[in-house]
Amino acid sequence: MADQADFEGDAMQYAPQLYSAALRMTRNPADAEDVVQETFLKAYRAYDTFTAGTNLKAWLYRILTNTYINKYRKQQRRPSETELGDLQDLYLYKRLGEPSGATQSAEADMLDAFVDEGIIEALESLPENFRMPVLLADVEGFSYKEIAEMLDIPIGTVMSRLHRGRKALQRKLWNLAEAKGLTGTTQ
Amino acid sequence: MNTGCDHAIEYVYQYLDEEISFFQRSRVQVHLRKCASCTSSYDFERRLKGLINDRGRTEPPPELFDTLRALIDEERRKGEL
Repeated sequence: MADQADFEGDAMQYAPQLYSAALRMTRNPADAEDVVQETFLKAYRAYDTFTAGTNLKAWLYRILTNTYINKYRKQQRRPSETELGDLQDLYLYKRLGEPSGATQSAEADMLDAFVDEGIIEALESLPENFRMPVLLADVEGFSYKEIAEMLDIPIGTVMSRLHRGRKALQRKLWNLAEAKGLTGTTQ
Repeated sequence: MNTGCDHAIEYVYQYLDEEISFFQRSRVQVHLRKCASCTSSYDFERRLKGLINDRGRTEPPPELFDTLRALIDEERRKGEL
């Protein structure tokens, strides 16, 4: 059992990353702050149910995710699995590497320039059911099992959404770079 | 492209996420040692994953900490009444 008096000292270090995750979820700074505030209040109230020594970060993210879903999901139309369309494996790699026959380091440099400012926009462009697993895995570093618990979906669903979500993210990164004229292809 | 490549590409995310069984990981590793093309695509995916991890975050507004502390203080006082 954790002591409520320790909550601030234990949990405050996670506030910046919780805020950032909330911003990726809500895509709006005011809503992100609301979600983080509600998360901290709920976590403080429930802190005596947290088992000290277990993963506090994962526990806080579970509350954050639930708070976001309860608050905002009902406002949205039902997410559709087919929204992403057909997606190619290794989308970005193939687009960047194969046509030019670039060397490996050239590809890597190109990737850096390419995705520089597009990552956040590309993440936020994903439909919610793909955005959440990609955010929780790639930005926040959670395991499939932790993500399955946070989103209350089976691990197999986490894996398939992650797979499709990452491919869609790559397609979006390519489209953003193309729009900025970074790809060297004609529009 | 052969079945080794197909297998490696199918498991690229599980491999990079370290969510792969010992057996499948070994199979991928054996393939990568002899396939430059898959090694190169694995390097690319690893690098992209790193970039998303590095640049997917946004700094909070500086007053966030104060707001959260005030919120918890208020809740604590309510509990003490």
